Amino acid sequence: MFLAAFSPKGSEQVSPDATLMQQLLRRDVGAFEELYERHSRIVYSLVLRILRQGPTAEEVVQDVFLQLWRNSSQYDVRRPLVPWLLTLARNRALDHLRLKSERQRRREEQTEEFPQIAAAAPEYERALDEKRRAERVRALIGSLPAAQKKAIELAYFEGLSHSEIAASLHEPLGTVKSWIRNGLLRLKEGLQASS
Amino acid sequence: MNSHDQFREQIEAYAIGSLDDADRALLEAHLASGCANCVKALEEARWLVSQLAYLAPDAAPSDMLKGRLLQTVRAEAPGGSGQSPVRTATVPSWLWAGVAALLLFSVYSAWNEQRQRSAVASLQQQAEAQRAERQKLEQELVAAKLQAHEAMIWSDPKSVKIMLPAKDPKMPQLEAMWHPEMGICVRGWKVPTLADKRVLQLWLIPKKAGSKPMPLVTFWPDASGTFSAMVENPPDAMSDTQALAVTEEPIGGSQQPTGTPMWVGGVS
Repeated sequence: MFLAAFSPKGSEQVSPDATLMQQLLRRDVGAFEELYERHSRIVYSLVLRILRQGPTAEEVVQDVFLQLWRNSSQYDVRRPLVPWLLTLARNRALDHLRLKSERQRRREEQTEEFPQIAAAAPEYERALDEKRRAERVRALIGSLPAAQKKAIELAYFEGLSHSEIAASLHEPLGTVKSWIRNGLLRLKEGLQASS
Repeated sequence: MNSHDQFREQIEAYAIGSLDDADRALLEAHLASGCANCVKALEEARWLVSQLAYLAPDAAPSDMLKGRLLQTVRAEAPGGSGQSPVRTATVPSWLWAGVAALLLFSVYSAWNEQRQRSAVASLQQQAEAQRAERQKLEQELVAAKLQAHEAMIWSDPKSVKIMLPAKDPKMPQLEAMWHPEMGICVRGWKVPTLADKRVLQLWLIPKKAGSKPMPLVTFWPDASGTFSAMVENPPDAMSDTQALAVTEEPIGGSQQPTGTPMWVGGVS
């Protein structure tokens, strides 16, 4: 506390990922290995949840990390890395899940490149470390009604649209829209409250 | 609710990708118009949606995946091989390098062992040749010493010459030389070739009555009928000796003469 009082106010703390990404820009294989060790587990877990096939999931994870290695020069180290990895991994996995439709193509265009993904993380992003934030996400979504939770999972893990989810759950379209929006807002509020 | 509020309510659904085509097209048009609030809200919503990944059950990729990735990355890194590996490769490069090193080491070991065996065989041949050469030199040295010894006996004034005429007039005469200290030499020329397994033997006949002949050296003539033999330490003194005699004996010699002396020479 005493030393903290003398710290420059407003000085930005460089995250380990940002440091590793700076090393990655210099083609440091060790930095790549460290980034893989730090994030491959959550990326693989997400892809496996979508595809449900280990070998295919590993192919997608391999593509994601190779893109990280090959396109690191496009990365802005001030932006959080994990959301980019997870968004790219999700898109690649959904592409494998079904043939590319126009909607899939548009989603890819939205999020494939570095600048369009999580350009600015919210203030509460640093309030919890990754492990505690993951536990909080599971708790908050787990507390939702089962149908609402199912709608969010169908949207996120299956890539279904509002209409497709409504048809799948036999619920009105407006209800599905509210479930997804309100569920994400509750998640946001819950994470903000934890900070 | 104005149009901005309507778009703002769709930001989360757009971020998660669940907007239907028509709604998505309208929202994208609004974002393209430069609504800063909606753009900022979208950035945060994308981060929020990415957190849903933690709903996935925890799982770990295989070590093989890490191996393949690092193999590719190392190949593309500065100082790497520059060759992209086969995606399905399952044997890491360090293992191939190990196998190659082991193979090279095995070949080198076999070659080195063969080389060392050849070197040992060569050294053994050289040692054998040196041993044979040394033996030959020693034999030549002994022969030279004998020749020198014989030459001294034959030339020394103290030596006494003894002629050994043959009992058979057709046979050549032998001659001997007895030196008091250096011994007895006997030699002959044109001596007929002996039968198989037969040799000539020199005898010393003592003066003392009743004494038996003393066996000395055995010898045989070469193809030209020439021979030379020497007794360095005669068993009796010249003054006690009556005569020298030569008989034909079985190979190896005899303790007593088995036949009549062929040559006899009196010692004066």
